[in-house]
Amino acid sequence: MIGSKILLVDDEEIFCDNMAKLLQNRQYKVTAVYNGESAIRALEKENFDVVVLDLKMPGMNGITTLKEIKKLGLFTETLLLTGHGSVDAAIEAIRLGAYDFLTKPCEIDELVEKIEGAWRKKDEAWKKDLEEKLKKVVESPSDVFKLFD
Amino acid sequence: MDQSLENKKKTQYSRLFRRFTFLTMICSLSPLLLAGWAINIHYSRFAKERMEKMLQARVEYHRKIIEFFLKENRTRLEFITQTHSIVSLTKKDRLSHIFKTINRDSWILTDIGIIDENGDHTAYVGPYDLIDKNYFNTFWFEEVMEKGSYTSDMFMGFRKEPHFIMAVIKNENGHRWILRATINTEWFRSLVEDVRIGKTGEVYILNKKGIYQTSPGSDGEIMALASGFNGEIHDGVKFRFFETGVGDSQTRKIVCETWLRDPKWLLVVRIDEAELFEEVRHANRAALISLHLSALIIFIVIVFITRHMVSVIKKRDDEVERMNRQLMQTGKLASIGELSAGVAHEINNPLAIITTERQLLQDMEKRIPITDEIFEKQFAGSLNQIDTQVLRCKHITRNLMKFARRTKSVIETVDINVFLREVIDLMEREAKSDGISFKSILDGKLQPIMSDPSQLQQVLLNIINNAIAAHEDKGYGMITIATCLSKDKTGIVITVKDTGNGIKDEDIEKVFDPFFTTKSPGQGTGLGLSICYSIVKQLGGNIDVESDVEKGTLFTLTFPFKPPEDLLKHGGGRLYNGNNIKH
Repeated sequence: MIGSKILLVDDEEIFCDNMAKLLQNRQYKVTAVYNGESAIRALEKENFDVVVLDLKMPGMNGITTLKEIKKLGLFTETLLLTGHGSVDAAIEAIRLGAYDFLTKPCEIDELVEKIEGAWRKKDEAWKKDLEEKLKKVVESPSDVFKLFD
Repeated sequence: MDQSLENKKKTQYSRLFRRFTFLTMICSLSPLLLAGWAINIHYSRFAKERMEKMLQARVEYHRKIIEFFLKENRTRLEFITQTHSIVSLTKKDRLSHIFKTINRDSWILTDIGIIDENGDHTAYVGPYDLIDKNYFNTFWFEEVMEKGSYTSDMFMGFRKEPHFIMAVIKNENGHRWILRATINTEWFRSLVEDVRIGKTGEVYILNKKGIYQTSPGSDGEIMALASGFNGEIHDGVKFRFFETGVGDSQTRKIVCETWLRDPKWLLVVRIDEAELFEEVRHANRAALISLHLSALIIFIVIVFITRHMVSVIKKRDDEVERMNRQLMQTGKLASIGELSAGVAHEINNPLAIITTERQLLQDMEKRIPITDEIFEKQFAGSLNQIDTQVLRCKHITRNLMKFARRTKSVIETVDINVFLREVIDLMEREAKSDGISFKSILDGKLQPIMSDPSQLQQVLLNIINNAIAAHEDKGYGMITIATCLSKDKTGIVITVKDTGNGIKDEDIEKVFDPFFTTKSPGQGTGLGLSICYSIVKQLGGNIDVESDVEKGTLFTLTFPFKPPEDLLKHGGGRLYNGNNIKH
C-alpha cells in the first residue's frame, strides 16, 4: 500500500539505509533504526503499519524486541528478517505473533510482497476493531469518546 | 586401517593373551602342583616308614622263631640228659629211638651222639662214620666242658661239611658225659630263609666274625667271610642301605639286621629297595599322573577361557574404538556446525548489502536511464553477474545452515519399501538420461519404522545423487537399492550400491567430513554426506561406506524401528504410506 509507514530495525546500518532507500523508492514512508531500544522508542512516539525486524542484534535481539512491541498493543504487524535462517527461531517468532519471516539476502520485491501481506493483515485487524467499537457506540452512545483512544 | 597399526594391535592382544594365560596358570596351577607334590612327598615318606616298620616287625618275629627253634632243641637235649643215664643212652636202640622221635615230623637233626669226658664217641646215630672219633681237642668240646651247654658256629669237622652242633653236659656219678646233636644244615637254612620277603629278598645269618652261617644266596657262600661286616653289636633291628652292581645294573639294597641272643649270630634280611617300595612308587606314580593330567586339563581350559576372554576384550575394544570414531566425527561435525552457522550469518549480511546495492543501482537506472550503449550493456552484465554470484553464495550459505541446523525431526511411521520405491521413481528419470538403471531388492516382510520421512528423503536423494555422479565417466551403470532386517533385529538396513568409479582408500575416511569434496571447485560444497551423517545420527541410525575403485561404492544405512526417546516426544503418529515426496 503506497504511503504505508514502515519501521526498519537492523544493526547492519548500511543494509538498513539501503533497504530504506529501496522502500522509499517504492513510495513507502520509512524510518530506519539500528537497535531494538530505538525501535520501541520510535513505536511509542509514532504509529507504524509494518515493522521489519532483524532477528540477531546486539542488546535487545529480534525476539525480545518483538515481545516488547506486542506489549505496546499497537495495530502493527512485524516481519522478521534474518541472516541466521533458523527455522526454530522463526517458528518461535511466529508463535509470538510475527506475521512472517524472510532470510537475508532477499530480493526487494519479495520483501515488498511480504510487507503488503502484513499491511493487509494489520488493516483487517484495525477495521475489525473499529467495527466492534462502533457497535458498542451504537449500543451505548456514551462510549463515543472511546473511539479516539 | 594402517597395516603397522593392525600388526601392533595383534601383538598387543597376543601379549595380553600370554600374560593372562601365564598369570592364571600361576594362580591356579601353582597351588595345585605345590599341594599335590607336598602331599605326594609326605605320603611317600609315610608309606616308606610304614613299610620299614612292617619289615622291622617281620624281622623281629623271624628272629624270635629262630631263637625259639634253637632254644627248643637245646632244651630238648637237656631234657634227654636229665631223664636218661649214659648207660641207657649208649644202648644203640634207645638213642636211635630218641633220634627218630625228634625227627619224626621234620628232619631237624642230622645226627646225635654221646661223648665221654675223654672225648670218645660212645654212642652215635647218624649217616656219618664218626663212632671212633675223639673230640677231646676240638674247640666245641672245650667250650661244652667249660660252659656246660654250647651251640657252635658253622664248622667243617670230621665230616668235612658245613654244620653246627648243640651239646649239653651231664655229671653222673662223678663222671661227665656230653649229649651232642648236629642240626640239619639244610633244614636250618630253610627255616632261616622262611621269611618270604619279595622276589629279591635274601635272608642269612652271620656269626660274630662275619662268617656266613647260612648261604647268603647271590653274594657269597656259606662259611665265607662277608664283606663290609663291622661286627658292631646292637639291640633291636637296624637298617642300612648300600649299592650293588655297576652302571645301569646298580641297585640300591635295604639291609635289616638284628642280633640273636644265643648264639650271638646276626640275622640279616636284604631286599632291593625298589621291590620293597614298589607299591608306594606305583601309588606315587598314579597320583602324580593324575595330578599332572589335572594340571594339563586346567591348562587347556585356561587357554580356551583366556582366548575367549581376549576375543571378547578385542570385540569390546573395537566397539569402543568405533564409538570413539563416531563421537569424534559427531564432535567434529558439531563444532564445524557452530562455525558454519556463524560464518553463514556473517556472510549473509554482506550479501544482503550487496543485493540492496544492486537493487539501488537498478532503481537508479530506471530513474536516470544510461545513454551510452556500451556502458549500459556493461552495467546490465555486471548487475547480472553480481546477481549470479550472490545466488551462488546464498546457495553455499543455505547448505551451511542446513548442516548447522538442528531442526526438530517430525517422526512418523514410515513403510520403508513404499518410501524407497517413490525415491527410486523420482530419481529413475534423471538417472536414465545418464545410462544408469535402478535395481531394487526390497524385503517385503519388513515392519514400518518410526522416522522423519523428509530427513530420510534428504539422505537417500543425496546418496543416490552421488551414486549417479560416480558414473560420470562411464556413461552406464547400475544402482542397486536393497532392504533387509538388521542382524540384531532391532531395525532395518538400507544398502545403496553403485557400479561407479569408487572412492580412493585415502579418501574413504574423509567422505563424511564437512567441506570434503572430490568435485571441481564450484561443483559441490562437500557438505552433502556430512549432512547425511548428521541426520542419520540424529535419527538414531548409522551410516557406513565401503568402496572399491574398480567395482564401485556401497553405502549401508541402519535405522532402528524406534528412534531415540527425545525424538519420539516431538513425533506425530501419522503413517507414512507414500505421496509425501517433495518433487
